[in-house]
Amino acid sequence: MENSMTKPAISEEQMNNTDMNKARAMVYRLLSSLFAKEIDHQLLHELTSEPAKAFWAQLASEPSFKRDVDAMVSVLESLTSDKALMELAADYCGLFLVGTKHSASPYASLYLQDISKSAKAGDQPLLFGEQHQLMLQFLKQSQLQVQTSFPEPADHLAVILAYVEHLCLSASDEEQLSFIESYLNSWLGKFAAKVTQCDSGDFYCALARLTQSWVNSDLTGLTEER
Amino acid sequence: MNRRHFLQGLVSTSYVVLSGASVLAPLNALAASGPKSKDGWLTTGTHFGAFKIKRKNGVIDQVKPFDLDKYPTDMINGIKGLVYNPSRVRYPMVRLDFLLNRHKSDTTQRGDFRFVRVTWDKALNLLKDSLDEVQTKYGPSGLHAGQTGWRATGQLHSSTSHMQRAIGMHGNFVKKIGDYSTGAGQTIMPYILGSTEVYAQGTSWSLILEESKTIILWSNDPYKNLQVGWNAETHESFAYLAQLKEKVKQGKIRVISIDPVVTKTQKYLGCEQLYVNPQTDVALMLGIAHEMVTQGLHDKTFIDGYSLGFDRFLPYLLGESDGVAKTPEWASQISGVTPEIIRDLAKVMTQGRTQLMMGWCIQRQQHGEQPYWMAAVLATMIGQIGLPGGGISYGHHYSGIGVPSSGAAAPGAFPRNLDEDQQPLFDSNDFKGASSTIPVARWIDAIMQPGKTIDANGSKVTFPDIKMMVFSGNNPWNHHQDRNKMKLAFHKLECVVTIDINWTATCRFSDIVLPACTTLERNDIDVYGSYANRGILAMHKMVEPLFESLSDFEIFTRFAAIMGKEKEYTRDMNELDWLKKLYNDCKKANAGKFAMPDFDTFWKDGYVHFGEGKPWTRHADFREDPEINPLGTPSGLIEIFSRKIAQFGYDDCPGHPTWMEKTERSHGGPGSNKFPVWMQSCHPDKRLHSQMCESQEYRETYTVQGREPVYLSPEDAKSRGIKDGDIVRVFNDRGQLLAGAVISDSFPKGIIRIHEGAWYGPVGKDGSKEGGAEVGALCSYGDPNTLTQDIGTSKLAQACAAYTCQVEFEKFRGKLPQVSSFDGPVETLV
Repeated sequence: MENSMTKPAISEEQMNNTDMNKARAMVYRLLSSLFAKEIDHQLLHELTSEPAKAFWAQLASEPSFKRDVDAMVSVLESLTSDKALMELAADYCGLFLVGTKHSASPYASLYLQDISKSAKAGDQPLLFGEQHQLMLQFLKQSQLQVQTSFPEPADHLAVILAYVEHLCLSASDEEQLSFIESYLNSWLGKFAAKVTQCDSGDFYCALARLTQSWVNSDLTGLTEER
Repeated sequence: MNRRHFLQGLVSTSYVVLSGASVLAPLNALAASGPKSKDGWLTTGTHFGAFKIKRKNGVIDQVKPFDLDKYPTDMINGIKGLVYNPSRVRYPMVRLDFLLNRHKSDTTQRGDFRFVRVTWDKALNLLKDSLDEVQTKYGPSGLHAGQTGWRATGQLHSSTSHMQRAIGMHGNFVKKIGDYSTGAGQTIMPYILGSTEVYAQGTSWSLILEESKTIILWSNDPYKNLQVGWNAETHESFAYLAQLKEKVKQGKIRVISIDPVVTKTQKYLGCEQLYVNPQTDVALMLGIAHEMVTQGLHDKTFIDGYSLGFDRFLPYLLGESDGVAKTPEWASQISGVTPEIIRDLAKVMTQGRTQLMMGWCIQRQQHGEQPYWMAAVLATMIGQIGLPGGGISYGHHYSGIGVPSSGAAAPGAFPRNLDEDQQPLFDSNDFKGASSTIPVARWIDAIMQPGKTIDANGSKVTFPDIKMMVFSGNNPWNHHQDRNKMKLAFHKLECVVTIDINWTATCRFSDIVLPACTTLERNDIDVYGSYANRGILAMHKMVEPLFESLSDFEIFTRFAAIMGKEKEYTRDMNELDWLKKLYNDCKKANAGKFAMPDFDTFWKDGYVHFGEGKPWTRHADFREDPEINPLGTPSGLIEIFSRKIAQFGYDDCPGHPTWMEKTERSHGGPGSNKFPVWMQSCHPDKRLHSQMCESQEYRETYTVQGREPVYLSPEDAKSRGIKDGDIVRVFNDRGQLLAGAVISDSFPKGIIRIHEGAWYGPVGKDGSKEGGAEVGALCSYGDPNTLTQDIGTSKLAQACAAYTCQVEFEKFRGKLPQVSSFDGPVETLV
């Protein structure tokens, strides 16, 4: 991430807005990276560094985030062995890397599908379906694409969060609001509930709930600023 | 304002998200142009036939049958659902406890489904380390990499060839002999008619349609089974079946389906059915033979000139050797066919040209060798073997047998074995006194009783002490019998590796799972029509391999690289080099006979046509001159009595065809008081074994409340209070499953059908969400091999005997568990 200190001087109000959006972008980026892959030693090191601790503490100062941030920090602090990291990776795998029906797959299409089409019990839409195509179009419009090192459908939560990160820094509040409402907030609740239901550990359900609370609060903020 | 303060507070922590790049990157103009090949219709093929595919934005959009395919199967509607399936194996994965404890892991956890993702590099090194460990500690007898089967089509990317060549470059291993489909048949028939018969080209349909007066479909359902083929299937057989239907209608050919149930073929042809009690066909055949002899209907000249040992068989038939004459009355009591019908059949078969067409199901039972042998004896007594439209065949329902071959050479394949000058890393051939090859269906017995010696086809087989299994494109947790026994056996394995496209039950019960891409994600070539050799088909890559899946070629090239044998493995050729080589070698073999364009033209056109073949009669040359064209039997003649088999001294496979009671049998047979219902688990109508079961939208065209159908009679349904569409619990002492009731007049009392290939989905014994790994678990979807018996057909073939299976069933009244088969290794089913 670029250092904001290198930016040219701008008015205080503008700077505040820029900083605000940078802060928001950072949170979206963090959430995206936590959903994108398992926590390895390097990421753990970063997430438990002194600046990160201060960041978590600040995040937890918001009452609606506190419980989940505390839960996540508590898990992160307990990851003192390879085995503990692997157990967390197994939680990640069971939730996000296999199947769809009994797991909490992070694909928008599973939660946004046309209800009339999925009247049949236990319907599972195919991967790389309509929502994937839709996100590809958004990305293309923004001159973006999914990294080849992340070979997932474009309706993966990590992609959508990363796209919001991009919007925070490039799009109007209205555009952001519209995208977040339609393509993220519309299914995040169902997703978070599924993670909470399926997670055999404590980390990812807290992360999913934090994401939901964060997006809620961000939407409120964006709406109030209009 | 608060929000401002809060956000500014976040910035002021000076925390920066560093780890890893964003999942997004600037749009790369080159990459954005999409797949390199054009987005129009491209040709490819699978077991389900050849077809064309159109892409949209890099994703498979439409599938339509190949122009030449006039009878496509509707299974191609399931293709898209196979590729973009939620149960795709997306990344290399390792069972958590195996990753932590390797060969000392808690193997009872297999089936609890706790996995972690690893990199390809880590996974392949783990595979190499595991193989090193087994070869060092146990030698080649510790490794079984020989359970192989219906790999996806394609001559270059065959999962079997790649796995066995690569694992073979590491070290030697235990292999199988035979297969699950035709184990008993292919073992006995070389003694009787000189070849496996089951995989031999048969008399052309056109000759049968011209010459046959009567066709006996014996336990044979070609209209169902010809939908799929070993290579890209042409479905040309269906044109002949359509003609046969017309001839049946006109009364020109009489077709009798001898079968306990009304088959799909019978319904299509509108032909007759002769009901026979399950597993009693040999008794019925003996009754017919007895009638032929007592009425002098049999062809003594043919028997004398072309067969051996009728005199040794006759005393048994007439009851002189055992005191039981195999009269129509005797046969009737066992088979449920009236003596009058048996007498009539003897007449019908011997008046005019009669073609016997055997299916494969009746040899997948205890003593499954006998019906095939006795049917050959009947055909010999009829005396028409070698005549067009007469004699006997064992494969007219398989891969287009009976469609004349073009005579062209088919393309070769990527080598399955090591090249002549190549040596494995671990070169030991010391199997420690155990056999290096075991009958295909006895591997679970071997794991459970290492060191035990059994009889098999005239030899002694000593079970190796198997500690590690490697499977690729193969799903034994579908095709093997008795899931609960398999679970116990798997507890004894130290390492299980599976390579597949989707999370089959075999993947779920493995330690290392590697993602292969589907046929539509790689380039390949195939012969069009396994027996027709109608042409060569280009199998174009439609999309890039999904997630981190790789082609079999790429997977094992990388593995070979870890062994320092990459160039040895690939012969220093890449995918395109190999495709060109396979094509050009074929072109050379066909030079002067069949015109083939250069590779680039072929690849652009997608297909080269070899033309039609000439009608042909099986065994005509033998009939013409048995001395110049002898059969492959020891005597060169049809062996009604086999001196060789008699010398083996097997009580369950004596020297001539014999009726023997089964360990369990319906309709008054052993065990039918406790479990009165016979379950048949024949090849599915809407799948290829277990392939395509996971394709949900297509699956839902036949499931009942999301479960595999169990077909049952109105009478059995009524007596158990079951209505069409109810969920039924089917059970016996070996296991239990849930299935959805389909009540049908096609099924008589005491007989149910559940098609094999239904994906195993264990849940707790009482239907609770946990406990799938336990012995006794309930199958939530309806895999019939939860109930079948894991015994050999006899000491001869030691083959799969899934059809000797008695069950009971009841309306399921518990809380219905969710189907757990299709969602990968999800540890906690909610």
